[in-house]
Amino acid sequence: MNKADIKQIEAESAKEIAESQDAKQLYDVKVKYLGRKGRLTEILKKLRDLDSEERKSIGPLANGARQLIDNGLDKRKKELENQIDWEKEKIDVTLPGEKNELGSLNSITIVYREIEQIFSSMGFEITSGPELETDWYNFTALNFPPDHPARDMQDTFWIHPITNPNHKMQMKIPSEGEAASLSENNLRRNGGGIGAGVKSDKEKLVLRTHTSPVQVRYMEKHKPPFRVIVPGRVFRNEATDATHEHTLHQFEALVTGKDINIGHFKHIAKEFFSAFFGKDVDIRLRPSFFPFTEPSFEFDISCTVCSGKGCPSCRYGKWLEIGGAGMVNQNVFMSAGYPRNKFQGFAWGFGIERLAMMKYKIDDIRWFESGDLRFIKQF
Amino acid sequence: MKYSYNWLKELSKTKKTPEQLAQLISMRAFEFEDSKKEGTETQLEFAILPNRGHDALSHIGMAREICAIEGRKLSPELDYSQRLKLSFSQKLNIKVNERHLCPRYIGTALENIKVGASPKWMQQRLLASGVKPINNIVDITNYVMLETGQPLHAFDLERTAGNIIVRKAKKNEEIKLLDEKVYKLTANDLVIADSEKALALAGVMGGIGSAINNKTASIILESANFDAPSIRKTRMRHNINTESSHRFEREIDPNLAEIGVVRAIELIKKLGGKNVEVIALTDVYAKIIRPWKINLNTNYVNNLLGENIPVSKMKSILENLGLIVKVSGKFLNCETPTRRIDLKTQEDLIEEIGRIYGYENIKEQALCVELKTPPRNEKRIFENKLKNILTGLGFSEVMNYSFYGKDEVASFNLDESDHIEVSNPLSLDQQYLRTTLIPGIVRNATLNLKYFNDFSIFEIGDIFSAKKGEKTKLAGALMNRNQKNNPYYDLKGKLEELFRCLNLPDVEFAQPKVAGNFVHPTRTAVIKLKNTVVGYIAELNPNILRKYDLKDRLVCFELDVVEVMKTSDAFEKSYHPISKFPTVNRDISMFVDENTKYADITKEIKKTGGELIKNITLFDKYKDSLAIRIEIGSNGKTLTSSEIDTVVNKIIHALEKKLGVKVRK
Repeated sequence: MNKADIKQIEAESAKEIAESQDAKQLYDVKVKYLGRKGRLTEILKKLRDLDSEERKSIGPLANGARQLIDNGLDKRKKELENQIDWEKEKIDVTLPGEKNELGSLNSITIVYREIEQIFSSMGFEITSGPELETDWYNFTALNFPPDHPARDMQDTFWIHPITNPNHKMQMKIPSEGEAASLSENNLRRNGGGIGAGVKSDKEKLVLRTHTSPVQVRYMEKHKPPFRVIVPGRVFRNEATDATHEHTLHQFEALVTGKDINIGHFKHIAKEFFSAFFGKDVDIRLRPSFFPFTEPSFEFDISCTVCSGKGCPSCRYGKWLEIGGAGMVNQNVFMSAGYPRNKFQGFAWGFGIERLAMMKYKIDDIRWFESGDLRFIKQF
Repeated sequence: MKYSYNWLKELSKTKKTPEQLAQLISMRAFEFEDSKKEGTETQLEFAILPNRGHDALSHIGMAREICAIEGRKLSPELDYSQRLKLSFSQKLNIKVNERHLCPRYIGTALENIKVGASPKWMQQRLLASGVKPINNIVDITNYVMLETGQPLHAFDLERTAGNIIVRKAKKNEEIKLLDEKVYKLTANDLVIADSEKALALAGVMGGIGSAINNKTASIILESANFDAPSIRKTRMRHNINTESSHRFEREIDPNLAEIGVVRAIELIKKLGGKNVEVIALTDVYAKIIRPWKINLNTNYVNNLLGENIPVSKMKSILENLGLIVKVSGKFLNCETPTRRIDLKTQEDLIEEIGRIYGYENIKEQALCVELKTPPRNEKRIFENKLKNILTGLGFSEVMNYSFYGKDEVASFNLDESDHIEVSNPLSLDQQYLRTTLIPGIVRNATLNLKYFNDFSIFEIGDIFSAKKGEKTKLAGALMNRNQKNNPYYDLKGKLEELFRCLNLPDVEFAQPKVAGNFVHPTRTAVIKLKNTVVGYIAELNPNILRKYDLKDRLVCFELDVVEVMKTSDAFEKSYHPISKFPTVNRDISMFVDENTKYADITKEIKKTGGELIKNITLFDKYKDSLAIRIEIGSNGKTLTSSEIDTVVNKIIHALEKKLGVKVRK
């Protein structure tokens, strides 16, 4: 027994402790050196047999070694306790995540928002009006003559006169003399059902056929210059199929001031469609007719698929028909209480469904009001 | 209208090909519809705008457009009215009873007619224009109509009583028309009659009894003008659409009747027999229409178009369209031909100048406006906020029709008298305007259950009540087949989060005194904000769901958007200082009887604990046992445990005494 043995024990035990990979191995090391028959224990046991000189020199060494091994074991034990078995921890990272779905906005809403955002950035106010509208705002105020075909039963949903005395629809009560006499045309159809006993177009109700009534509603309360857009739901009395709906969404823009002209319309339309489609779009105007604008035009945009080269989307015509527009008819300004020829403005409108169908390549207009989540969830 | 290319070419002297012409007219006047070959002829079809039916539903009218577009005037020799004087000493007996329905009636009698086939060139032009050739007389009337726009009719003189009466039909008067159908007329229909019988349905179709046949030797030729709305109503009433009614219902110029008759006589004399003689002519025309004047400000023209068109260019465009124009300073004094009924205002003339000048030649111009932010549309912004929160909570947005039918009114126990009815619905299941969004939502749920086990949907849309008018509502529903818990709480939790996001802290879900019409009577709550009912949340009555073959429970809600918005706006967001002092959680478990509501318990705890109650949560519920965690603390100091005990004991005492709960100790 000598000092070298102890040094050797220290070195070997330290190595074995460090190499222990779990509590069991560590325990075995402990037994090997500090157990009842452990190597260091044996030395310690033999200390008694040594003379005092030797004891004095070996004793502290042996006890020091014991301390060293104890500390080493403790330290390693803690290390092993904090060690994580990564293999045991392993999971299948390819399993699906827990379902946590966001809902989807209707594609109509998405298109509305894009449009509203573009117009808002150009300083347009967003305004709205009722869906249940008076004949006056829907037709008369917009310069539709009493016999205009649009007032036909075929095109417009008319409302049975409301007999309930409690009803307080938000409508303008006509002053005496203001009450325009309506054509018997509309009053007599359907066995006298519609409008029986109703004399004024300010009392007769329709489901609005366009968002244009809001033009007059807005102008009654505001003075030019202004620029507004009117998003909203409109109704057409026609049977539905892949390209026809009786419930539609529309957009109306109205810009009014002292000297608004066709050039301004072309500029804003081009700005808008270029922003909406994210590429340069050209505008083309063709002559048209609407009672509430003069001059009136159809407006086409250069095909957004082929950029005017000709492709199946535009049926090789290079242009896509989008909507109607025109310079506000002075009679409409008059309906809103403005003096004739004091202001100029343009108005234009187009269908949201058509834009959504173009943008998302949707093949059937009836999807929008279907409530079918297989469709809605795609957006 | 369908046009013959060769005919247009001859009249207008254009050198353009059919394709060039189609393109040109599309950009300057009327949309090109279709083109096809008819033998040696090319047919071009254009959609004539509703305000141009007065003059453009004719080859001469279209030729005038072509000339104007090409910067020329139509050849003056096409002005047939200059060719013949309409004065004959011999009069035909014509009586117009309805002057306002028939502003002009020219009747002329011709004899020595020889009926036969019309010449080939005429037949080809008719065919190219979509009209079937019949015999020379009928073909001439059609040819003149296609050429000038004036519908004409020829009666076999021998088969009439020799006179003409323009009168309203007698009620139920019957007439067999050229289509060989018998029509029963109303007292609002206008007929051309003789002293014995009705000969024709005025402006729409002739009667078969007086039709031209091979033996016809003398005729009465009619060139008349009829009131447009009256013609329209008659043809709609009887569902007859003819070339004639098509033109009359668009209103044509009474002066065109003269042009038509002159041209027809000329052709009949040429093609209807060697010795054709006009033996009588009567023109009943009381209120003569004369050209009118429009004073056009040339500055206004350029100001509205946004261009700098020279005055001379404006003048020539209008002259090429047939107006007589005199320059007077910055004004153009324009005399409008009577055929252009659509030209009434300066803007009407500006449109003519603009379109012939070419809209593509008008340069884009940036708007010069004051730079300012537009007013906010608070409702639109609020709706968008609702949509964002709801989609964040997993709801998808549906849109439904504004209609439903008697079935829904009955199934959902709705008040029929509150419904606004459509006079002319597309079908009976779309007869009423919706008073609630729920029937649509239930329809969506039924559909989507075929494909999904769990989903949540919402809709923002207007409802219409006869009593309260139009209102915007938000409704939604939640379906979860996989979950065993009552879906009511699932939906309620989402609504609570919605209200939290809207900054609406004090939402009350209260059991209503009377349950709604279509809800589960014991699983429904009204939603109150500041003591105002703004909507409800409920499980749908399972009996109603059964009618829609829905076996699963469906919970839904409906809120008044504007009411919620008003309350939401009233709460300004502001920071609440976070207390520096610790809070303590104390749990209380208790047995409650079935009539004690959780809302009563929390109310009592808040009342008793006052400001020290920071939060109350339900952390366990099993049968009649509830476990509640109360967070207690003070903003001013750290509470001692004896102070806390005092509060908790007070709460336990109050709960036991006032609500009869048994607290487990």
